Amino acid sequence: MSEIEEKTPNDEEQEEKGIRASLKRLIYGAAMHGMSRQALKSRMYFEHMFMLITLGDLMGIPILPPYYSLRILPYVVPQIKTWKRRMLKERDITDAFY
Amino acid sequence: MTKSYSTYTEFFDQKKDIQTLIFAGKGGLGKTTLSAATSIRFSKERMTKTLVFSTDPQASLSDVFEKDVFGKGEIKLEDNLYVTEIDADREIEQYIQSVKQQIFDLYGLDKIPEEIEEYIESAKAEPAMHESATYDAMVSLVSRGEYKLFIFDMPPFGHGVRFVSTADVLDSWIHKITSMRQKAEEYDEVAAKFMGKTKQDIAEDAIMGELTEIRDRLNFFSSMLKDEDRTGFFMVLVPEQMAILDTERAITMFEHFGINISGIIVNQVYPPDLLEREDLSAFLKNKIIMQQKHLETIFERFGDKVLAVIPMYDREPKGIELLTKVAEDLFFWKRPD
Repeated sequence: MSEIEEKTPNDEEQEEKGIRASLKRLIYGAAMHGMSRQALKSRMYFEHMFMLITLGDLMGIPILPPYYSLRILPYVVPQIKTWKRRMLKERDITDAFY
Repeated sequence: MTKSYSTYTEFFDQKKDIQTLIFAGKGGLGKTTLSAATSIRFSKERMTKTLVFSTDPQASLSDVFEKDVFGKGEIKLEDNLYVTEIDADREIEQYIQSVKQQIFDLYGLDKIPEEIEEYIESAKAEPAMHESATYDAMVSLVSRGEYKLFIFDMPPFGHGVRFVSTADVLDSWIHKITSMRQKAEEYDEVAAKFMGKTKQDIAEDAIMGELTEIRDRLNFFSSMLKDEDRTGFFMVLVPEQMAILDTERAITMFEHFGINISGIIVNQVYPPDLLEREDLSAFLKNKIIMQQKHLETIFERFGDKVLAVIPMYDREPKGIELLTKVAEDLFFWKRPD
């Protein structure tokens, strides 16, 4: 108990930081989580758009001349599978919920 | 457009800043011969350090200069005269190897994933590949700027026009991507503050860098074609019905993309004074009469765009000596009244 009473200003600061951090998390959870999920979602769309522009001819939509697409290709090798799957996927009503 | 030239020589008198000459037209009309003749004139008479460039897989520059320069880099033929004939197939092969190597290096793979391999192979087979490689090489050469005059003996111009329009399309996409990225960043800020730059971001940065460079190269090419002070864009044709129709279509197509051709050169015209000869065969006579008729049409349709009429020679114009003769015909042609 005495420890608490002997709090140094430094500890106080620490505690305040802890409170602030939890508060931040609370606010994040309550208000921002949706936003950042939205952000991640738009990032995903954005990524797909990116791929479409650069490697559209994989999908039969040529935008860049293939000569230049090849310059982009190495950077997106890991994403190609999921991207193709997503682009070619049939849409259904549940898509609206995520 | 203030156009005040009516011959090939006048064109060059007007355009002191000329840097690039492009010869376009169907195959077999003499683009290579005219490119070579022009290069000789400039390197010899005007002391201009000149490079003639071709990507013809049939090595036609090697033929007209009578020296094997195919796939050998930039070769000096005479003072101020350099020639390069690119082996596009080999260049493409090397380029694809470097792309594959980059994939190996980035991901430490020992085999390219099947899907990627398929994509690379199909891109390689794409007919536009060859042309793209050509234009890309042109951009590299001209932006390096080691020569005063560049003469391009163009392959038949099909996808080339798409290349020009791609620059604009790509430009607007890059704008879109940039603003989308900014928006995503704003959104992201809360979450991203904890994560810092992700791998994803780094890859995107690299891609953006590449896209911007590609856009710049395409822009360079397209503004080169459109810059009437620095670039001469000539169409070569022969006095034949098909060639006339083709040229008309090509001119319309180029105009659609904002490219004005600088002039037309009519090639392979049988000397009409042969008609005065008594012993002229009926075959030749008919040929000459037909050509003269088409020549009239050419002047009617293209008028003052015609900058020279080059005769048919009794031999193939090859080698420096004969090409010098062609150059004289080209530069000293007189417009008929």
